Order: sequence, then C-alpha cells, then structure tokens
Amino acid sequence: MKQMISLEVNGEAHELAVEKNATLLRVLRDQLGLNGPKRGCDSGGCGCCTVHVDGQAVYSCMCYALSYDGASITTAEGLAVDGELHPLQTSFIEAGAVQCGYCTCGMMMAAKQLLDECPRPDEEQIRQGISGNLCRCTGYAKIVEAVKMASER
Amino acid sequence: MALQNLKDFHRPGAVEEVLALLSENDEALVLAGGTFIRGLEARGLLNGLETLVDIRRLGLDTIRVDADGIEAGATATLAKLQRVVAAQNAAWLGGLADALDCPPLQIRNTATLGGCLAASCPFFDIPTALVALDTEITIRGSDGERRLPLPELFFGLFANALEPGELITGLSIPHAAGHSAGAFGKLGAHANVLAIVNVAVQLTVDGGLCSAACVALGGGVADTVVRSPAAEAILTGSKLDPAALAAAGEAVAGDIQPLSDHQASAEYRRAVAKVMTRRTLERAVARLA
Ligand SMILES: Cc1cc2nc3c(=O)[nH]c(=O)nc-3n(C[C@H](O)[C@H](O)[C@H](O)COP(=O)(O)OP(=O)(O)OC[C@H]3O[C@@H](n4cnc5c(N)ncnc54)[C@H](O)[C@@H]3O)c2cc1C
Ligand code: FES
Ligand code: FES
Repeated sequence: MKQMISLEVNGEAHELAVEKNATLLRVLRDQLGLNGPKRGCDSGGCGCCTVHVDGQAVYSCMCYALSYDGASITTAEGLAVDGELHPLQTSFIEAGAVQCGYCTCGMMMAAKQLLDECPRPDEEQIRQGISGNLCRCTGYAKIVEAVKMASER
Repeated sequence: MALQNLKDFHRPGAVEEVLALLSENDEALVLAGGTFIRGLEARGLLNGLETLVDIRRLGLDTIRVDADGIEAGATATLAKLQRVVAAQNAAWLGGLADALDCPPLQIRNTATLGGCLAASCPFFDIPTALVALDTEITIRGSDGERRLPLPELFFGLFANALEPGELITGLSIPHAAGHSAGAFGKLGAHANVLAIVNVAVQLTVDGGLCSAACVALGGGVADTVVRSPAAEAILTGSKLDPAALAAAGEAVAGDIQPLSDHQASAEYRRAVAKVMTRRTLERAVARLA
C-alpha cells in the first residue's frame, strides 16, 4: 500500500503516492524523472545522490521518503534560475571538472552548501566540504578548482 | 529490493505514542536519521522487518547550553551539535569538535545523536568523544525515565543495554570543571571510512598537575568503546610531561582487546592505539596552554 506525501521539489509542489520502503532518491528519479541525483552505491558511500533538504545537503539514498513529508528539496536541476546557470555549473564547465559526469550533480550540491555557509573557502575547506563525494575519474584537482572559481564569481 | 516486508511506517508526534507502538510490537524498529539502518538494509539484514517507527516528529531535536553543560535531544543531528560546539569555541569541548569533523557533511546533516549511540558501533567516532566527556543519556520506557552513564549503554558489538520498548530521549554533557581540555584522534584509511582506532582524551589541570584524566578508545580496540584506567592512573597527579604521556600511551595496551577485521589486525590496532593515545594526549596538552 502506497502512502501520500507532499514535497516541494525545485520550487514546485507535488502530491505523491510513495511505497513505504521508497527512498527519496527513488522518488526523485523514478517518480519525478529528475536524473540529477544519481544512484551509485545506494547506501551512503559515494555522494552522487546528494540533494538539499531544507537547504542542507543529504544523501537522498539514505532517506526514507515518508520521513520527508512536507520537505523542500533542491536537486541539481534546481540550480539554474530562469535558464541562467548557477556559478557552480559555469565553473564546473570552465574548469573541465567533469569527465564521465556521474559524480557532478552530487559534487555541486555538496559544494553549494559549503558556499552558502562559507562564501570564500580555502582549498582545505573545499576538500573537507566535498569529502563525502567520490569521483572515480579522479578529477578532484579540477573539481576543487571549479569550486574555488565559483566562490570568486 | 530490501525492506520488502515493511507494512507499517509510523510517524508519531509524542513519546507516549512511540512507547505504545514499541510495547505492542517488540519487532518494531526505531528510525531516526536512518543512516545506520539503510546500511543494514543494503546488506540484506532487515528483510523481515515489518514496522518502522520514525521518531523525528517528537520535537526531541533541541540543544541547550548553560553553565552546567550541554543538554541535547536524541534526534538532534550531528550538524546541529557541531554548530553549537563551534559557537562555544572552548578547550574543554575540543575532543568533541574534532570528532564531529569526521563524518561527511551529508551524514552530519542526517544522522542523529541518539542513533549514533544506540547503534553501539565501536567504529563510530562521536561515541568515543562523548565517553571522554562523561556523557549521560536519558532513557524513557513504559516504567518511566532513567539515566545511564554512556559506557554502560554499550553492551557489546552492535548491542546496546536498552530494554525492549525503551527509547533514548536525550543526552547531557556535563561542563568540565576547572581548567580542562579535550582532544580526539582517528586513524582511518581515508576520510569516508570507519576508524581503525580512535582515541578521545580529557585532561584537567590544577596548580601544574593533572587533577583528572579520561582516556577513551574506540574503533575496534574492543567490542565497545572502552576507557583505559591504567592510562588515566598514570596521568592523574603527573605533570603531563612527555614521559607521562608516553607511559600513558604504552599503558592502554593492557586495557584493550582489539578485534581483527578487513581493516586491520588485532596486533596492528594494539600498536597504533599506543601511538594514537600519545599523540591525542599531546594535542590536548597543547590546548591546555
Ligand atoms: C557514509 C557514512 C560515513 C560515516 N562516517 C562516520 C564518521 O566518520 N564518524 C562517525 O562517528 N560516524 C560515522 N558514520 C556513522 C553515523 O554516525 C551513524 O550512521 C549515525 O550516527 C546513526 O544515526 P541515525 O540517526 O542515522 O541512526 P538510525 O540509522 O536511524 O538508527 C541507528 C540505530 O539506533 C536505533 N535508534 C535510533 N535512535 C534511537 C533512540 N533515540 N532510541 C533508541 N534507539 C534508537 C535504531 O533503531 C537503529 O538500530 C558514518 C555513516 C555513514 C553511512
Ligand atoms: S548513491 Fe547515495 S551515497 Fe551513493
Ligand atoms: S567525473 Fe566521473 S565520477 Fe567524477
């Protein structure tokens, strides 16, 4: 038996019938068609499912959707405003911080909380801020550069 | 898919309701941040689970600081405690601040203090730091409320001392008396991994001598987080000079029964526990200055 929840996702209100065991990641990808958050490990080890819940970065694969009834969610799709890319997105492109791209949306969402709280981070703070996100293409140097670049925009 | 047998997902709004649900059904599992539970689910360990009781609507997520110390509700997140501890910027909270830096941002934003303790996982960091601070927890059950000093909660590997139907509602960290400083150290293979060994120490000095010392170790040095009475005895009354710190480091070896696992052998844990203890003591001593 499914249960109803309401979620605000990237500014839009949704009423959703979700399975009791569904994670937020599953609802976002499979019910709302948002493929920014990726299903990597599906158990808290890689970070590519990172979204914001009420402004805080979380692993959406670790969240049971029913616990988040009424929450406001932002995914990477919600970063751009009126077609204008977010500084993080522009910087990831310009720094060449994307290889296969699987980690990218999660990296940007982790970096977004860092920049929201600490607008001018140093390299150590950037590395700490994205320590919960893995990149298997070993692009960390350019990812750090991209976050630094975004902080200067 | 795991949790394929889940039938009920409760989100009660009052502690009494939680206690009633737990007493009706002793197979029901309390859900807080879910970061440990999702790990169990992913390993296929919760396939038979039918009932989850989410406790994050109880309003138990507040943290209060006063002259007596810190009172935190069980569902306060690690991130919330981290902000409170950072705002205090106090040497006596140095070990807790160090430990709260360990989990990644996404876990700090989700994981709760009650869940972190109830999991009774010796490889977590925050419990070791809380033991060094003489933390007490508050427990509610159908018979009322009781308090427990933290080490007594840890009954064994992944086993806690809660009776069926009991709930951790909060924890109290008493303000360290006198001139006190803490430090925490972790040895792990990389940032996002469980500790091989972790150490939390709390040192208080009076007139140039150590008047109280607490040395707690976790990360698989035993089935649970343990204290080292031998190291504490060497430190207490000493000048906290390099010889005393080194001797205390050596002494922890007698108070631990390390585990062997995929991360490290028991012998390795024993060897690094001594070094990690000495280094963590050095950090705490530096903070006393
Ligand atoms: C990727 C990753 C990295 C991590 N890194 C670190 C790290 O560096 N350092 C560290 O210390 N920890 C780390 N952790 C562990 C993390 O701290 C724990 O998973 C977390 O604290 C558990 O809290 P929770 O609220 O999510 O618990 P849950 O998963 O909700 O619950 C855990 C257990 O406690 C029970 N429970 C929960 N709340 C209560 C309560 N109030 N009363 C009674 N029982 C209760 C539940 O039934 C369950 O058995 C990491 C975890 C992950 C997944
Ligand atoms: S998919 Fe969520 S952390 Fe890997
Ligand atoms: S770009 Fe491929 S995983 Fe990071």
